[in-house]
Amino acid sequence: MEQAVQIVIGGLLQGSVFALVALGFSLVFRVTGAINLMQGAFCILGALSMYSLGQVFHWPTGLAAAGAAAAVVAVGLIIGAAFFVPGLSRLPVSGMLIMTAGMLTLAEGLALLVWGSQPYALPPFSGEAPVRVLGIRLPTQGFWIAAVTAAVILGLWLLLTRTTAGKALRACAENPVAARLMGIDVPRATLASFVLAALIGGLGGIVVGPITSLQFDTGRFFTIYGFVAVAIGGLGSFVGAVVGGLLLGVVEQVAAGYVSSLFANSLAFGLLLVVLLWRPSGLFASGPQRRTDVRDENRVWPPIVRLRGRSAAVAGIAAVALLAALPLAVNSVPVMSSLVITFILFIGLLGLDLLMGYAGQVSLGQAGFMAIGGYASAILATNHDWSPLAATAAGIVVAVACAVVLSLFTMRLRGHYLALATLAFGLLVDSFTVGLTDLTGGPSGLVGIPSFRIGPYAFDTSERMYYLVLALIVVLVVVLHGGVRSGFGRALQAIRTDQTAAAALGINVARHKLIVLAISAALAALAGSLYAFYFHFLSPEMVGTPRSLEMLAMLVLGGEGTLVGPLLGVAILTLLPTVFQPLAAYKTFATGLLLVLAVRYLPGGIFGTAVDRLRRITGGRGTAPVARVPGTLS
Amino acid sequence: MTPAALEAIGLSKSFGGLVAVDDVSFTVAQGTLTALIGPNGAGKTTLFNLITNLYRPDAGDVRFLGASIAGLAPERIAGLGLTRTFQSARIFPGMTTLENALVGAHRHLRGGPLAQMAWLPSVRDEERRVTARAEALLELVGLAPFRRAPATTLPMGAQKLLEVVRALMARPRLLLLDEPAAGLNDSETAELSGLLSAVRANGITVVVVEHNMSLVMEVADEIVVLDAGAVLTRGVPADIQRDRRVIEAYIGQGAGAH
Repeated sequence: MEQAVQIVIGGLLQGSVFALVALGFSLVFRVTGAINLMQGAFCILGALSMYSLGQVFHWPTGLAAAGAAAAVVAVGLIIGAAFFVPGLSRLPVSGMLIMTAGMLTLAEGLALLVWGSQPYALPPFSGEAPVRVLGIRLPTQGFWIAAVTAAVILGLWLLLTRTTAGKALRACAENPVAARLMGIDVPRATLASFVLAALIGGLGGIVVGPITSLQFDTGRFFTIYGFVAVAIGGLGSFVGAVVGGLLLGVVEQVAAGYVSSLFANSLAFGLLLVVLLWRPSGLFASGPQRRTDVRDENRVWPPIVRLRGRSAAVAGIAAVALLAALPLAVNSVPVMSSLVITFILFIGLLGLDLLMGYAGQVSLGQAGFMAIGGYASAILATNHDWSPLAATAAGIVVAVACAVVLSLFTMRLRGHYLALATLAFGLLVDSFTVGLTDLTGGPSGLVGIPSFRIGPYAFDTSERMYYLVLALIVVLVVVLHGGVRSGFGRALQAIRTDQTAAAALGINVARHKLIVLAISAALAALAGSLYAFYFHFLSPEMVGTPRSLEMLAMLVLGGEGTLVGPLLGVAILTLLPTVFQPLAAYKTFATGLLLVLAVRYLPGGIFGTAVDRLRRITGGRGTAPVARVPGTLS
Repeated sequence: MTPAALEAIGLSKSFGGLVAVDDVSFTVAQGTLTALIGPNGAGKTTLFNLITNLYRPDAGDVRFLGASIAGLAPERIAGLGLTRTFQSARIFPGMTTLENALVGAHRHLRGGPLAQMAWLPSVRDEERRVTARAEALLELVGLAPFRRAPATTLPMGAQKLLEVVRALMARPRLLLLDEPAAGLNDSETAELSGLLSAVRANGITVVVVEHNMSLVMEVADEIVVLDAGAVLTRGVPADIQRDRRVIEAYIGQGAGAH
């Protein structure tokens, strides 16, 4: 009995932080209609700043907490003003999701640079000795957590209901255009809500630090748990955020206490999927109902870039010839290896581009399919003596089966919910690859994977692997190009921007989404398998959520909806750290920064922008004439 | 006897306390052009949404060529040959004018995704055929010069014409047009009027929601007048023009009493 009470109290404390992250989510969502995936990172930034100020610089606790909160507010101000607020008026929902995913990566990169990758622990504010109340031991930190959570809730409620500033925020939430007409500075109010949410997240991190393990990338877990809380409670509802957070904390601690912590993680992500399926609007749906199903006229959809006819064929053949000759010019082993990895990842990106660039389905968990395919084929080939070819095929089948199951949950989801469901899926796969030690080798990875071979021919050198993957890519690009230039591709593009209009023209939206998800899962699984066979090794971090976010950056940087453009993105983010070794530590930071900048300034990515420029310079055939309001059409 | 192209039978829909469509019944004979008119808020667009099952009706049935289509998914309804356009031109951003038109042909493409990826000869032929047809239709409405321009760069009137072209690419048996002339200038309206007559001459049944009365009077065979969610009256244009109740519905009772 006493143990049960202890576990529930632990759950409530853990849940308080989820509630605070959820409050931040709801606040930003209500004011801007966007989900800020960076929300959880503020917790980590707050807690790690607290560590530095308190433990390294030996500031007294109160001062250190204030300093840490100020640091979080400063980061929030910079990122909000530089990226989030400017993005809001220009980007569609999916673009904002990608941007905040970039902000999350950026924050993780920043934390990695400042604090490194080792875990930290904060000392409790008021000593280690627990207090006994009615025979139950309570950690003193618990009182701090409860008090700060209560204070934040009360303060937020007072601010929103009792002050003019709060009314302005609510006006922005109800109707930004009307609010602007009434003289409210909407961008400033938006920034204020963003920074306020950052502060709430930071405070949560500061008080919960002593009872959690902190690492540069723990932020994404706070983000996902906060979102699970929000999804349970109802997006935009403050009561729902608090109830959802506490509930999630208790459920998770009970599961961890009585079953296992692996199960607790899976349970949380599973819970999200179930809630999304059963009651997408949450338990306490409230706040302005934002419609994500109607097209937003003033949002810009980047045009999908096409090269036409002969010039495309000539450019394609030239590019392939160049790539085929490349190994002759490269005599560095690490660079050659990087090139192979670039190509392997590009296979996964072809699928992601089809899914996101063409069909507009944001996926934050694509590496999950790489992991499923990679581990399935590696385990079959290593432990069960399957031929690598058959094992790869089996891996693809398993991944496609998982995609079909996932699509049962995500079929009716759009925008935020779809993105978060895919993130939950990715993290769920992560927790299995780490947790199922007997099967996957756990965190240290699966070793002794054989080389890829077709019949007697083994692809056991980088050169052989290079040509194998290059050949695969040529075939895939040609095939997918055929798909996107005909009815299938047009249907996907129609679904991307207007599902209702697409359905009204007889396009089976659900079927197309399923097909495109299955294709992307198959390609990701193929990439994951090749990766494992090439390295003879597969570990969770090679195909984990950071990889998903990195692939997102590669896609957006190279150019969404261009099929071949992402190759540039992969090359930049894979080859540069290899060629300039000292840059490797900055990789996460640079990935995030490039992602954010590309979303903001390069709507067509590098490839799209280059093609556009080229067309403008040559001005010749293939130029798209822009209709200059002709007045009459006759 | 051939079945009616469209039968609405006792359709009702309310939103909260507001009854948007109240027990509406009407039939549209095959090969005719019927105009659905009525003041703003009369429930015209809601009626379209009920017919195409974007909204599920509270009561009533819809029959298309004699068979009930109530409760069918919108893409199934479209697949049967009932195509609609939207009040705000919902062209697909990110695609060119020509590609937008081609999306309309979706239901007639026989090649599956695999055949299309393999770019089989049959797929190539099919693409060539629908492209030729789309270009001919764009030519007809004067949009041919902009076929490679991003569709969002077209002026509003041209976007609405493009949406009609896109719907025609589906080779519909019944075409529902929601205010196609809204936002069109005079010459564009003339293009539209010509297009509608051509459509009807090809045997396609048309139901059009429209506020432009001279257009309605010019092209409609029959007019159904909706007011406050219910059918006020119906008849040939000449009768509707003289109907006192219609004038009252539009201008208000005081004005009609003179």
